[in-house]
Amino acid sequence: MSEKTATGHSFKQVPNSALTEKLKRALTGIEVEYRETSTDVDLLVSPANFGRVVRELNERKELSFDYLRNIAGVDYVKEGLAAVYHFYSFKQGHAVQVTVPTPLGAPHVPSITSTFAAADWHEREAAEMVGLVFDGHPNPKNLLLEEDLRIHPLLKAHPLQKVEILQGIEENDPGFKF
Amino acid sequence: MTVWPDESVVPGHAGGFDTVDMTINIGPQHPATHGVFRMALTVDGEVVMDCEPYIGYLHRGLEKLSEANDYRQAMGFWDRTDYLAGMCCEGAYCMAVEKLAGIDVPERAEYIRVMMMELSRINSHFMFLGAFGADVGSFGTSFIYAWRERERIYDFFEEVSGDRMFPTYFRPGGVAFDLPENYESRIRWLISSIRQGIDDFDGLLTGNEIFVERCRNLAPMTVERAVNLGLSGPVLRATGLDWDVRKAEPYSIYDRFKFAIPVGVQGDVFDRYHVRISEMFQSTLIVEQCLDQITEGLVLNPNLPKNLRIEKGECYVRTEGTKGEYSVYALAKGGNKPYRMKLRSPSFCNLSALREMVIGSYVADAIIILGSLDIVLGEVDK
Repeated sequence: MSEKTATGHSFKQVPNSALTEKLKRALTGIEVEYRETSTDVDLLVSPANFGRVVRELNERKELSFDYLRNIAGVDYVKEGLAAVYHFYSFKQGHAVQVTVPTPLGAPHVPSITSTFAAADWHEREAAEMVGLVFDGHPNPKNLLLEEDLRIHPLLKAHPLQKVEILQGIEENDPGFKF
Repeated sequence: MTVWPDESVVPGHAGGFDTVDMTINIGPQHPATHGVFRMALTVDGEVVMDCEPYIGYLHRGLEKLSEANDYRQAMGFWDRTDYLAGMCCEGAYCMAVEKLAGIDVPERAEYIRVMMMELSRINSHFMFLGAFGADVGSFGTSFIYAWRERERIYDFFEEVSGDRMFPTYFRPGGVAFDLPENYESRIRWLISSIRQGIDDFDGLLTGNEIFVERCRNLAPMTVERAVNLGLSGPVLRATGLDWDVRKAEPYSIYDRFKFAIPVGVQGDVFDRYHVRISEMFQSTLIVEQCLDQITEGLVLNPNLPKNLRIEKGECYVRTEGTKGEYSVYALAKGGNKPYRMKLRSPSFCNLSALREMVIGSYVADAIIILGSLDIVLGEVDK
């Protein structure tokens, strides 16, 4: 037990513009659109390229994104669903957001559980909440919802209802079909 | 020996006995699970062979409710995620809304926020020490020790905000109202009381050889594995990685304070405990520096619109919650409600590593390992 500051890495914050340059150099040859949110660099990647992008982000020494922070599923209604990933690198001290929009009616994204063990529960949550399908996930069961409940509550089409109506215990029409 | 028909016999154990794997269900209404959490343990005698965690018993649809209510209304739900440290959750939520809308926070409000968040952190860690002591076997004593300090902190929160557990004290753009007039002497007294409490715990638990022997070398974790599993907070720092969002990506005014990041050596249960108890002392240092630096002034941005509408925005605001990285992914697409709000819950991520930690340990140790993760189910289940 020791109380010390900054042993392994320095707490330097990398400006987003410098990170974008680095990413552009590393990801040449892959179709990626670069954007910036209020906090992070955002990469727009198609589901087909996503596996390759994650491999590059994880394995390249100058990027070395080794930490998966979060996966959020977003329902863009007419533009389909999107999976939003947040990665961080302990070695380099920089963070990136990767957005994977999926076409309407085909919400398939490759699973990254083989690279990041942390993705397991995040993917299960995103799958049940908005209905994304993570191809290759080892255990695609419901996590927060009941095991046999096949609804996706965070879809914009899903109404706010009493639980009893959703479960069919009360008789009112939920307004949509399971 | 009779064997249940659908259970397999494991032959060839020492002593010539045949053993049967048994399934034990713990929770959701079991005090050792710290809330409504259920795990199904497959045990071979006393040794855990497999563990299947079940969560979601406290799922209230935080994210859906945040989308259905406007920015001001939704804050009440966020208090109820990490309900042991309501102020920290409010802080993260308000910072996300401020980032989206581009709202400035007055200087004095920032200091008040940091003080409240650090007191919340101490409060939550006291809860951990009390409950963890009870898990390990000191039964009621550690709980009572913890409660003395927690009551005093809650009394102060009540005086400041009008509520103890769910203060709803923060606002996008500052805090609701100023501190009471005698706040400085109250907080200084509180800090001396907290330090006494930390000292008492140090004597009660760290000074207890039985406690130390039970916790040491239990479920050790390497840095690489912890990073890959997505652990954060004290559980990650116990492995020896000195990563704290307050230092690595400073938010609010944390870059103005001097404090250390306590780290462990091998990431076992004892290190997790020790990191937390050291962290509480660092938090008292931050609060003291706040008291020295705080200035007079406004506590709420005077130029706030009556009905906050945000045209467009996207951000991922990270804060160091009491259990780890408590972050909010917020997306606005016009109107007075967010389009999407996603909570990155530290307890959720830490709990997902439970299965790997408990396999191979004794059943009684599995309870301690769960306790050492310091989960709060309101945050796991959202």
